[in-house]
Formats: sequence, structure tokens, C-alpha cells
Amino acid sequence: MSPRSALALLILVGILGGVVAIVRMGQLPPADFTFNNDTEIESLDPAVVTGQPEGRIIDELYEGLVRLGPKERKPLPGVAERWDISDDGLTYTFHLRRDAKWNNGEPVTAEDYVYSMRRFLDPLTLAEYAYQAWYLKNAKRYSRAARGVEPGDPVEVELFEPPEGALPHARGEVLRGELVKIETDAGASEEDLEDPEQFTKRRTFVVSIGDTERRFRVGEANTADGAETCNQLMLDFGEVGFRAIDDHTIETVLESPTPYWLNLLGFYPLYPVNQTCVETHGPLQWTKSENLVTNGPYQLEFRRLRDRIRLRKNPHYWNRDNVAIETIDALAVQSLTTSFNLYETGKVDWITKVAPLISRELFVADPPRNDFNPDAQFGTYFYNFNTTRKPFDDPRVRQALVMALDRREIVSTACAGELTAQSMTPPGLPDYEPPECEGTNLERAKELLAEAGYPNGTGFPKIEILYNYEQQHQTIAELIRKQWRRGLGINVATRNEEWGTYLSSVRQLNYDVARRAWIGDYLDPITFLDMFVTGGENNNTGWGDPEYDKLIADAKSEADPTARLELLTEAERMLMRELPVMPVYYYVSRSMVAPHVFGWYNNLEDRHPLWALSIDRSAKGPNDFMSSEPVREITLGTPGQREGDE
Amino acid sequence: MISFIVRRLGWMLVTLWVVFSISFFLMRAVPGGPYSAERTLEPEIEANIKKQYRLDLPVYQQYLLKMRDMVTGNLGASMKKDFTVNRLMREGLPVSAALGLLALAIAFTVGLIAGIVSAVFRGSAGDIMLMSVATIGIALPNFVVAGFAIILFVFTLQWLPAAGWGSLGQLVLPALCLGAPYAAYVARIARTGMLDVLSQDHIRTARAKGLSPVTVVAKHALPTALLPVVSFLGPAVAGILTGSPVIEQIFAIPGLGWHFVQAAVDRDYPIAMGLVLLYTTLLYSMNLIVDLLYGVLDPRVEWE
Repeated sequence: MSPRSALALLILVGILGGVVAIVRMGQLPPADFTFNNDTEIESLDPAVVTGQPEGRIIDELYEGLVRLGPKERKPLPGVAERWDISDDGLTYTFHLRRDAKWNNGEPVTAEDYVYSMRRFLDPLTLAEYAYQAWYLKNAKRYSRAARGVEPGDPVEVELFEPPEGALPHARGEVLRGELVKIETDAGASEEDLEDPEQFTKRRTFVVSIGDTERRFRVGEANTADGAETCNQLMLDFGEVGFRAIDDHTIETVLESPTPYWLNLLGFYPLYPVNQTCVETHGPLQWTKSENLVTNGPYQLEFRRLRDRIRLRKNPHYWNRDNVAIETIDALAVQSLTTSFNLYETGKVDWITKVAPLISRELFVADPPRNDFNPDAQFGTYFYNFNTTRKPFDDPRVRQALVMALDRREIVSTACAGELTAQSMTPPGLPDYEPPECEGTNLERAKELLAEAGYPNGTGFPKIEILYNYEQQHQTIAELIRKQWRRGLGINVATRNEEWGTYLSSVRQLNYDVARRAWIGDYLDPITFLDMFVTGGENNNTGWGDPEYDKLIADAKSEADPTARLELLTEAERMLMRELPVMPVYYYVSRSMVAPHVFGWYNNLEDRHPLWALSIDRSAKGPNDFMSSEPVREITLGTPGQREGDE
Repeated sequence: MISFIVRRLGWMLVTLWVVFSISFFLMRAVPGGPYSAERTLEPEIEANIKKQYRLDLPVYQQYLLKMRDMVTGNLGASMKKDFTVNRLMREGLPVSAALGLLALAIAFTVGLIAGIVSAVFRGSAGDIMLMSVATIGIALPNFVVAGFAIILFVFTLQWLPAAGWGSLGQLVLPALCLGAPYAAYVARIARTGMLDVLSQDHIRTARAKGLSPVTVVAKHALPTALLPVVSFLGPAVAGILTGSPVIEQIFAIPGLGWHFVQAAVDRDYPIAMGLVLLYTTLLYSMNLIVDLLYGVLDPRVEWE
């Protein structure tokens, strides 16, 4: 063999050897239970994440004061073994169990929860979900830092440098005192003073600490006339309604009675983190598998980016005897088709969703599937009208457009089993029957349009539907365009934008009609209804009505649950009359769960704790998933079926 | 040769700088930002996020600071997720490299053999069949090939796993699908090159001297016929790199490709920038290697 071909052969062997070596590094023994978690999670820090995939992992790694059961999602004792609620519904006292431990064996104490709550509310933690804890007295003011304080308030001033002897990533030293006054800069314009992002740049805060008055400016490069700089200035955390009475007792005081407060405590943003772990390793490092300390049923064994997260049963967990599965793999497979292929080849025991096209096949499969049982979910797919633009400022136009919508055609053509929606809040809540908007009524729609000054659509400006690019959104937008054109004789165009661009267009009201969706954070109508208060952060329709705002505000402070729900019903009735939004369909959960998995139940929240699962491969007959009664009957319509068709 | 390499590496730095600058300003020209979320953020949080990622500074300062980071090898951390770009590359690059190398090996081995065979047996039924397959291979995008391959090998024959990472079996299908279109290109190029050489005088002379057909093809024709194939190595690497996001997604391979796509969607500037620069370096080095190989294969070429 010539030296040249020997060299070529050597290179080839080297390449193949390298490939084999890399593949070998990825080899793993399979886990006891594998599910597809849909994507790479953003973080394992419960305070900063907001997504479902993150929630599925964090629910297992950490445990809150209460935990929510797998079936009805009712609060069960978690780290708190019992709790008392005051008669006015404002004060909750939690008694922590003594055997609750972190996975390094150290006890979980009330102080851990206080630390975690403060960290969660601190705007420097960048917790998007901080508002989930604003039901606590003064929590919102604490989260707004310098914007939340007034002269006379007790305040805490956080300096840049941590106190001596603190862990490397601890918070800056904190001085406590009373805010004397806030001085605004002489040269600042009215506009600058109003701008919330510029708030601290234009002000000096005078605080009396001990016996001396000291002047503070917030932010590093922000010194003026002898004032000291500080990292943050905010309400004293002692004012927030969350405190440790002793090592094993926590008291929470709420702003107003909140019937779902216990459920929120079982929601992952309010889980505790380990102070020593966070402050020793710092950002990005403390959530690594070699550093992470958690208190939940499982602990993190390793995380491979875009591949999988492996969880292993936590030997220190107080309820370890009732956790059945030893190891769990959460895959980060994003493609729905790939996810389904993995499930069908037996590599995965649970996939959280199935593409509409495939689920159509599953509905009609023969013999019927023993692992597919779609059920109602607490989410709504809807369209926004931009009420700041003509002609959508006229409620009659919005009503006409809503009445010209044929939801049945949409769900039977573009969806697979989704339920037509005529309200914002999906049905299924125990004591709340959502008021509905008018159904399809073309005659009335034409009349309304004529009343608004556009008989048979003449003179109606060309309008545009905005959606973010995804196949299903496109199909639906095209259908709605067709329906409006067919029914009302108006000219409709569609425009698609990529997700980030679409979000900023919607936020800046840079659209006529836009697709949106909302999944409820907790099982209460308010999660859907308080979006639409005047100027609400997620309103994005430009619509607002003082009467509506009052109904929502009254509901929030109402102590009697029945009266509260009546107020909310009234608010939703108003929303469905004014129609700044057009409900299209309610979401349906479409999990596939292998027949040998037990303890998995359909529920409205579509959240499924893994600690409740067990595996029995010898079991005969349907598992809990298949035998549970659906909240609502889910059927697959005939494609192209319209309103009024049989 | 040394001065040639040094000069080319110098140009690589210039290229990287240009790519960096263009990407930097393009990314900021796109509407939306890393902090856009479906829910509107509180102003305090938004201000703190901007501060943390220096988005509150004027663009030119961001640019200079970012350039300093790049020069010192600090690629930064993702704006959306809790890991650094360096960790992402450390975990993803070997995986993508394994997939890409295997795909390249398949493309060039299969392609070369097919090309030579059809050139030597020009006009035969085998030639027509091979070239028809190659034409189809070029026309079909890799995700279509992947769809058919999954139906055939995973569900019908049940020979290979559907997706995932951790065994050689799981790598076969993705490498095959990723390499297939390039195998087809290589086959066509090799055939043309071979036909060209086989009609030349020195081959006729070699045949006239009575050398065996195998020796004529392998020893006298092949090195010259390889030249166009080698020059295809550059574009092929580029294609395999850019084609891998789709394949990585279909087969759930934890490589770099999907990060790249997702970073663009998420406006995750540090990840997007890190990967753009990595890809630029890879492509540039591949082209450099191709140019060096040219000199090895063809004595007429000089490194200028």
C-alpha cells in the first residue's frame, strides 16, 4: 500500500474511531419512567421560570408548603403538615413538619421559605411570575422597589457589597431605616419623572438610619451631590405578609381574601430554594447537577442540554415511602412527530401532546386506543380586536364579526377534538358557569354591520388578521377570513409574523385583529378576566371600561366566595357583550400515556405530578388515565362541518 | 506554504470581525428582544434585565463591549436559559461533529464509488440506474428522505430506533439522511471528472502499455478525477452544517443545530452570535484544508 493511501485510510479510521468514542460517551442505562418534556427547559430555579416544561421538573425537585394532588389538584399537606385559616380569610398559619429535609440531609425550616419568598419578590431576581405572590400584604410594593415606597415607610437599603463573612454570592449588605423624603432632580422633565424605567435615575432618597439621615441614589453610575450609591431601595421586607414565627411555623397575611391562595402555594414559583446553595455557587452555577440542593421527591442526577434530564428519588424526602419510581428521564424532544415516533416504538411512556393530524387518526383507530383519552383543559384560543382602530371601536362591528364566525367549521377543519368557545373562561370550574357571547347568527351580524354604517359590507375598510407563524394558526386565520368575506362581504387579509415580532406587534397595538391564547395559571375565572381591565399589561386590545374595572376590583376584595363569583360572572357577561375579544375554542389536553402507567389522571390544569405515578406492567384492564370520566365529552367532528350541519 | 497558511489565518480574523459586526447589527435590527414574553413584564424587572444584558447602553457601547468579550474568548451566557454558550458548545459540538463526520464519510464513500463505477461502465444499465438515483437524491430535501427512511427502517423493518442519542444505531439514520443528498452530488461530480480524465492521452498510453483496467483507473485516472470532488468538500461541509438543524430535530440529536434555530427565534443574542462565529470558523478552516489538499493532489497547483 502506498503511503498516501495508508494516510487516507488512517484518517478514515480516525474519523470513525472518533465518532464511536463520542457516541459511547452518550450511552446510558434506561430510566424506569421516561416522558417527553417537549423542549429544553429555561432554568431549574423555580423563581424565574414560567413554562409548563419547567414546571414538570421543578414540581418534582422542590416541594412547597402544600402540594397539589394528581386527580382534583386539591391542596394536600406538603412541607406544612397542617394549617389554620383565620375567620376573615386573610391570615394563614402553616405548621411545618419536622422531618422535612433538603437532599443533603439538612432540615427545611421556616427561614428557608422566608428567604425564598423575599428572593422571589426582589426585582433583581428577575422573576416574571412575581405577581403570583402579590396576594400577600405589601408584596406588590416590595416588588416595585423604589417605586413602591413613600415617605414614612420603613425601608431597606441594599448596598453593593455583601456584609463581611457572607457567602460569595450573597445579597449586598442591608441597612434598615425610615424613608424621610424623596427628592426629584431639579433638571428633570415631567416626562422623565413619569417614566417608570427612569424612576430611580431622577431621584434621591433620604433615609434616617439610627439617628442619622443619609442620602441615597440607586444604581452604580448614579452619584450626585454627596449622596451614597446603593444597589436597591425598597420597602422593609418585615412589612410583607410572610414571616417565620419560629423554625417550624409560618404566617402569611393576605391583602384580600383569596380563595385559591393554598393552590398558589402549591404552584412552583413559590417553592423554596436553598440559601446556602444559591449564595455559594451563584447564578448559572447553583442549578448545575453537582451543586443543586432541593427538597422535593426527586433530585437532579444530571442534565444534558437538548437531550434529557435525569431525576432520581430523593433518599431524604419525608414521604419517600410513597414515591414508587426510582429514576425518571425527561426528554427535550421538540418535534411532535419525533415525540410520537418515540412513544410508538416504546421508548417513552408519556407524551404530553400529539399533532392534530395524528390525533385525528387516533380518534378513529380500530381497535380503539387504550392510551389516548383527550379531555378539557383550562385554556382558550381567541382573537383580539384592536379597539383603538376604526372600525373596531364600534361594538356593533365587533359583535357582527363575532356572530359571523363559524366555530364549528374551524374546530372540525383545523383542530382535532377542541371545543368551540363562546366565553373567555373555559367551563369546568365547580361553581362558575361562564356567560357566553352570541353564537353564529349571520342575519343579525349583517343587521349590526348595517347599523354601524356598512350595509352589506360597503365602505368597510380592508382589515388584516395577524398571527404568529404556525401551520394551525394559518389554517384558522384563512378560515376566518373566508367566513367573514362569505358572510359579511368584507375584505380581509392575513399577515403572519415570527413569534418575537408578533409579540411586539400585539403589544404595541400594531394590528387590526390578532390571534392569541391564554392558559389559566390557576383554577379561577379571575386569571382570564383581570387581563382586560383598563390598561392591563396583557390587555393588548386598547379596550377598557370603568364599570368592568370596578367589578374586577370588587371581586378581588370580596370575602364571600358566592358573591365574588357573582361579580366575576357579571364582569364576564359584560366582556362577552362588549367583545374586545372573540373566543374561538377551548384547548383540549392530548396526552398519550402507556397502559402500564398508573396514578396519571386527566385534570383541567393538565398538570401531572410524577411522584404520584407507579408502573405495573402485568396489570390488566385500563389505567387511571383511561378509566377516568372526562370533564367534557371530546369528539372529532366531520372535516368541513359547519354550524347547523347535522 | 507556511506564509500561505499564516496569510489565510489573518484573513480569517478579518472575516470573523466582519461576520461579527454584521450579525451584531442585524440581530438588533429585528423587532422584539430577548425579554419579550407573552406576558408583559413589570418595568422594574424589564429595567433589571436590560441592565444585566447591557441592553440599556447605547448600541455602540454594547458593540465594543461585546467585541472585547469575543476577543477574550468569553462567549457569555444564554439570555433565556441558565447555561453558558461555552457549555452549550462543549456538550453540543462533539455530537454535531460526530453526526457531520459520519454523514460526510457516507457521502464521499458512497458517492465516489457510485461515480467511478458509472463512469467506467458508462452507458450501461447500472450507470443509468445510479445516475437516476443520484438525480432524485439531489432533488429531495433531507427531511423528506428522513420521513421515508423512518417509515421504512423504523416502522416497517424495525431495524433501527426512531430517534435519540447514545448508541451507534441511533446515529445511522440521521447520518444517512444528512449525507444522502451530498452522496448524490459527489457521485455526479466524480462521474464527470472521471469521464473527463478517461478520455485523455495519458490514459490511452497507459492502456496501450497493457496495464490492467484497475491500475489504470485507480492509479492514473483517480487522482486527477478527485480534484473536483475535493473542491466540493467546502460546500458540502457548509451544507451539512446548515442542514443539520432539521435532521437534529427530526431525530432528537442533542447537537448544536437546533440551538442555532431556537436562538434566532428567542432573540438569544449570545447563543446566536457564538454559533455564527463557530460556524464561520469551521467553514473557513474547511476551505483552507481544501486549498491545501489541492496542492497535495495536483502538482500543477502552487500555494500563492
